[in-house]
Amino acid sequence: MTDTLYYQPKSVDEALQIKAELGAEGTFLAGGTDVVVGIRKGKLKVARTIDLSQVPGLDGIRRHDGFLEIGAMTTHKALEQHDVPAALAQSCETVGGPQIRYLGTVGGQIGTASPAGDVSVALIALKADVELRSAARGTRRLPLDEVFVGPGKTVIADDEMVTRVFVPLGRRSDFYKIGKRDAVAISLVMAAASVGPAGDVAIAIGCVAPVPLRIKRAEALLDARGLSDEAVDEAATIAREDCSPISDHRGGADYRRAMAGTLTKRLLSRLREVTPVKAKPAESSAEVA
Amino acid sequence: MSSGPPIRRRPTGPVRPGQQPQVNVIGRSIRRFDGKGKVTGETPFGGDLAGPEAYTALVIRSPHPHCEIEDVELAAARAIPGVVAIFTGDDIGGTNRHGLIRRDQEVFSRRARFMGDCLGLIVAATPKIAQRALEAVKVSYKELPIVATMDDALAEGSYPLHETGNVLSTELIRRGDADSALAESDVVVNTETRTQCVDHAFLDREAGMAYMEDGVVTIYASGQWIHEERRLVALALGLPQERVRIIQPATGGAFGGREDISIQIYLGLAALKLDHPVRIEYTREESMIARHKRHPIRIEYTLGATREGVLTAAKVRILSDEGAYASTGPAVLRKAVSHCTGPYRVPNIHADGVAVFTNNNPTGAMRGFGACQLAIAYESAIVELSRVLKIDVVELKRINLLDDGEGVTTDQKIPVVGVRDCMEAALRRIGWDKRSYETPAPHLRRGYGVSTICFGVGYGDGFPDASRARVRMADDGVVEVFTGGVDFGQGLHSLAAQIAAKELGVDPLAVRVVASDTHRTPESGSSSATRQTVFTGNAVRLAASEVAGQLLDVAAAYTGLHWDDLELRGNAIAAKHDIAGHEDRTVVLPLRQAVRLGRERGYALDVESCFKPRTVAKQKGTGKSPRAFITYMFASHVAEVLVDIETGEVKVARIVAAHDVGKAINPQQVEGQIEGGVVQGLGMALMEEVVSEGGFMKNASFTDYIIPTIVDTPTIEALVIERDDPEGPYGARGVGEPGLIGTPPAILGAIADAIGTQVHETPANAERVWKAIKRSERAGDGASA
Repeated sequence: MTDTLYYQPKSVDEALQIKAELGAEGTFLAGGTDVVVGIRKGKLKVARTIDLSQVPGLDGIRRHDGFLEIGAMTTHKALEQHDVPAALAQSCETVGGPQIRYLGTVGGQIGTASPAGDVSVALIALKADVELRSAARGTRRLPLDEVFVGPGKTVIADDEMVTRVFVPLGRRSDFYKIGKRDAVAISLVMAAASVGPAGDVAIAIGCVAPVPLRIKRAEALLDARGLSDEAVDEAATIAREDCSPISDHRGGADYRRAMAGTLTKRLLSRLREVTPVKAKPAESSAEVA
Repeated sequence: MSSGPPIRRRPTGPVRPGQQPQVNVIGRSIRRFDGKGKVTGETPFGGDLAGPEAYTALVIRSPHPHCEIEDVELAAARAIPGVVAIFTGDDIGGTNRHGLIRRDQEVFSRRARFMGDCLGLIVAATPKIAQRALEAVKVSYKELPIVATMDDALAEGSYPLHETGNVLSTELIRRGDADSALAESDVVVNTETRTQCVDHAFLDREAGMAYMEDGVVTIYASGQWIHEERRLVALALGLPQERVRIIQPATGGAFGGREDISIQIYLGLAALKLDHPVRIEYTREESMIARHKRHPIRIEYTLGATREGVLTAAKVRILSDEGAYASTGPAVLRKAVSHCTGPYRVPNIHADGVAVFTNNNPTGAMRGFGACQLAIAYESAIVELSRVLKIDVVELKRINLLDDGEGVTTDQKIPVVGVRDCMEAALRRIGWDKRSYETPAPHLRRGYGVSTICFGVGYGDGFPDASRARVRMADDGVVEVFTGGVDFGQGLHSLAAQIAAKELGVDPLAVRVVASDTHRTPESGSSSATRQTVFTGNAVRLAASEVAGQLLDVAAAYTGLHWDDLELRGNAIAAKHDIAGHEDRTVVLPLRQAVRLGRERGYALDVESCFKPRTVAKQKGTGKSPRAFITYMFASHVAEVLVDIETGEVKVARIVAAHDVGKAINPQQVEGQIEGGVVQGLGMALMEEVVSEGGFMKNASFTDYIIPTIVDTPTIEALVIERDDPEGPYGARGVGEPGLIGTPPAILGAIADAIGTQVHETPANAERVWKAIKRSERAGDGASA
């Protein structure tokens, strides 16, 4: 572990000022569940750390103008305990273990830009926007799926920070994760989907491309043809075609590609039903609750 | 089928002081005396011992899985302020070698054969400085060809990892005429099973300290056989054993992973050379890279039977990845081969085993020790046979399981074969005849699997296997037990206290246990091979009963009563029954007074005993033995799973595990061992796998090496069956390893039941299960994948 210079701003403006001065040298520290681990393991070279834990006003969840506004420093645990769309709640429940969920934040997850980001996938499938802010140019707002460009790479400028996420309300949604075990597991494949009040569909899949992948071709098809059996099957085929998974020690590309289709079909079929369905296989009657 | 012996119910609560403790001391869930400190966090472990003055030692490891070391440049590292010393092979006084069966591993390697090989040892004032020094070390090396897989090792012209070539050892069993019997069999099935490389994943990483005391190198480190570790440290450093002392601190798990030397020689060398306290604490990554693993084994299994389902013959070919060094490999291979037909009656056996070197982590001891890999293989063959014969797997087992007095693979005749009792008890508990295949959704399938397994206890095969224990009465009337056997969490020391308490009529919690210190305690062999309950248990019992006999003699002389009319009970010597003048079983002498009287009369009240039963070496050419192991454990597990046939995900809903332990001396500890084994076995069955590519480990962390959490843990019901062992203490036979061994085959059988095809490679993770389903769909039937 190498020593780094550490800043602790007390306001958003101060944080942005520091970030503008440091540029790429400065790394925001939110919950620290990725950054601190990366530094300790020597996998992340961080010259300057800007700790956001003392900045007021960056966390919190509120409903406003048809959107759920989520502050960047809102933790997974806070979201899990709040009345949020199903896919978002389920994705937060499956991130790491309780310790990670009490620390990890939505803004941190977006900044980390992992293709295995459970919450990012759920948010993309919910058609969420993200608000970015800089000292020089103020705020801008763009769809979350346009933020990610590669593993760990985003369009967020060197002087910008994630301040808020906007999730449109009124969409029915679902999420499904395949991990190597049922807790504290990095996803092998995961997907989320939602249907809007007007019947428009959104689908996102994780761990099958360099970024959390939105399957726009399938969305267009479903928007045109609705959630018929044939359309859902075609959407699943498109999901398989449009992803570009890799093989690693967690799993093979073939399996991930196949699951991109399987999960697409599963989620869309469930969304057709009115009642929400449990995300994981129901457990045996003998299971201890 | 008989209803079998009764299943033990857990007796209520511990013995409280003031009760008559010798009543029901055996078979009672006595509270662990080490429990409170571990639960509250007060107990120091190996990493907690060193004071701030201690130096920190850090190992320089190989940069490549297979290379000649040309130069290790240390000047820059040595120049860093706070670096105390850097040791290499030039600094070591002894053989510079270690290894449990062959001394084939160098302490400081000139040629690295895996990533964990040590090139040098940095000693610095603080961990930070040591780390900085490590980063300043430059190693120049010549790469050698990497032998990455077993196939590489066996390929013609493969690069030899050792002078003797790439075959470490071979084993065989020849019984009857398997080829002819297979040719005459009505049905023959073939399976190929591949098991994975598994890490022990104990929580308490390798950590300890050492210092010099009166010229003695004193090492606090967690192993599994402190006296063997002392021998290895003394040889490597060139010291007489008297100048090496090993003390085992509280230890958080071992599972075979502490059988090989880890940090002991490094600590000893640094303390000896510097005459200053030194500490070592591995990181998790280092712990995983440096330590040996479970053998990945490939098993080709051919099993024959009559149309009626009677087994006729087995032909088994076993290939085992030994990794870079021998470790306990030859013994693991022998255990695999000698258990290749499990608890089944197979009259004709032809088995061959080969262990080969590769540039992967050395593989050695881990709970199950070769027997668990073979259990997966023979149970897979039984499931396959059941499918082909269309005979229910339980019926097939009922036809072929051994009965009392019949011979296991080595043809050793086993007087008490509890496997049928275990299976029937487990089936009754799960409700086998009324099992339901209902599921909450069409993409889910339910399945049930039954395993029946056996395991030979102790080292076996004629290897000297002994435990010693010393029991003495202290002047204050307290019973002291001295054992060199280590307790890494399994409860051996509480067990030793319980046995001494039973023999001497005192409260088990009042027994003073002095343990795991080579300067103070007698050698008790390793805590491995499921042997300590029988071996150290018997040694303590022998010693304690001899002390008890001396005390009765003292009391007899004092009272004029016959010693046979007296007994030890409630911290006193009392009449065993109503005797004239001593009605109502009166106390005749308090224990403390008896000790004082005994000392006056010249009784030592201090006895060391040894339990060293005889086993018989394998017969050359057949591998048979009339007594390969002193006794055998039998167990049966039933697993219930739900499989998502679209994703391949498996959820284990319930596991019933029935074990014939002979006698549960402490039922709660027995149940705990079974439950722990089930969870570890579930990890092996479904998720755990060390992934290496070309000798480089890809998942050396708990982020990437996945073990089960509480969320993955099913309902576990441990059923304790008690059919007395003829030689075990109070009939006990052991419990450690079978809880793991029985689990993977039960889960794999349940998956096969659910999806109609078998997964032949462990772990049966979602991807492998999904692939098996796809293969079977393509084949157009429920054929085996």
